[in-house]
Amino acid sequence: MNQDIEKLLEKYYEGETSLQEEKQLRQFFQQESIPEHLQSHAAQFRYFASARTQHPSIAFTNQLANKLSAPEPGRIISLTSWSLRLAASVALLILGFSAGLVYTRWQSGSTGTVASSTDEQSALAMKKVLMFEHLPKTSASERIQAVNQSYDLTQVDQEITQLLINTLNFDANVNVRLAACQALIRFENEPDVREALIQSLKIQTDPNIQITLIDALVAIKEKRAVEEIQRLVQDKQVLDVVRQKAEEGINQLTREGNTPS
Amino acid sequence: MDLQVFKQRILPVQGRLFRLAQLFLRNREEAEDALQDVLLRLWTNRQQLDAYHSVEALAVQMTKNLCLDRLKAHTKRKATDDTALLGIATEEVSPYRQVELTDSNELIRQLMDDLPDQQKLVLHLRDVEEYSFEEIEQVTGLSINNIRVILSRARQRIRDNYLKVNDYESGH
Repeated sequence: MNQDIEKLLEKYYEGETSLQEEKQLRQFFQQESIPEHLQSHAAQFRYFASARTQHPSIAFTNQLANKLSAPEPGRIISLTSWSLRLAASVALLILGFSAGLVYTRWQSGSTGTVASSTDEQSALAMKKVLMFEHLPKTSASERIQAVNQSYDLTQVDQEITQLLINTLNFDANVNVRLAACQALIRFENEPDVREALIQSLKIQTDPNIQITLIDALVAIKEKRAVEEIQRLVQDKQVLDVVRQKAEEGINQLTREGNTPS
Repeated sequence: MDLQVFKQRILPVQGRLFRLAQLFLRNREEAEDALQDVLLRLWTNRQQLDAYHSVEALAVQMTKNLCLDRLKAHTKRKATDDTALLGIATEEVSPYRQVELTDSNELIRQLMDDLPDQQKLVLHLRDVEEYSFEEIEQVTGLSINNIRVILSRARQRIRDNYLKVNDYESGH
């Protein structure tokens, strides 16, 4: 046995022993009684065996385990490969552009609807106030304001002109009728409005409005009104001033009709 | 490589890495610090680990390099610390020289410290960690013949120095 060990030791110092043989040597030198002449070899083998039992402290391993598991949730999204980073940046770019596009489109669309909606709103408010059924509930100044709202409208539909015509003919207050008359003159191009203005001459009894109507009809050169104005001239109940104005109007209308020829 | 796989593959090796770090740094706290550094680096680069043939060899290499770097960075500070430590050690140890076991361990440790880095590393890997020559080759990049030669020199040098110290003492 001892001779074996001596041979092994020789091989050991030459670096020729196998792992198995080295293990044998370490085991041999771990025992209590070692022959005197081999005693001097014992120290290093004992050192190797004891060095192998060294381990990091438990506190350290715990601390390490915490460090390893703690940052885990935050690290899930890590763009490691280049292709992934590139893809992400391109995706972001596309997203930004499309978002911008959608936003501008949405904004231009909304400004259009906003303009028309204000139109609609004022028209709606106007209709509400001028509705015939609401007449007793609204004051004259409110109704004048509503009529004046028609100046804000860029385009009108038949409903509104009809509403104004009704106001002109049937409103209880002279000033409201006058306002409606002036508002209607703006829409002279509508055939309905022209017709209504002519018919209104029959209905109106207030000289102010009669004069305004005559002026308006002359201004828009409505020849069909001549008959009605003629009737005013012959009506004895109508004020002299109005009749005079009517005569002037007829002269103007007929003269204008003749002069070009 | 998720945490579970990482724990299975790397953490069993941490004892080895720790002993290696301790071999170079000679200080428990610093060795633990270096070990933690190495393990966290491995963890952050865990995606690339699969590409390596042997993660253990890589870890051992990293530990060795890190320790040598730290030694270099702290040479001056270390030198003063060591002389202080050695002074205390010899003073404290000499009365216990006769108490064989722990004392001779301490002596061998010091003798290993005195070895050149390469001999120290090869001897440690072979005789403490029981690495095969192939495994040492993977870590150090040396040829097997070279490793044998280095190992043989390191073993003989330890023995010679040990005998020198003992002769000196017995002669005293």
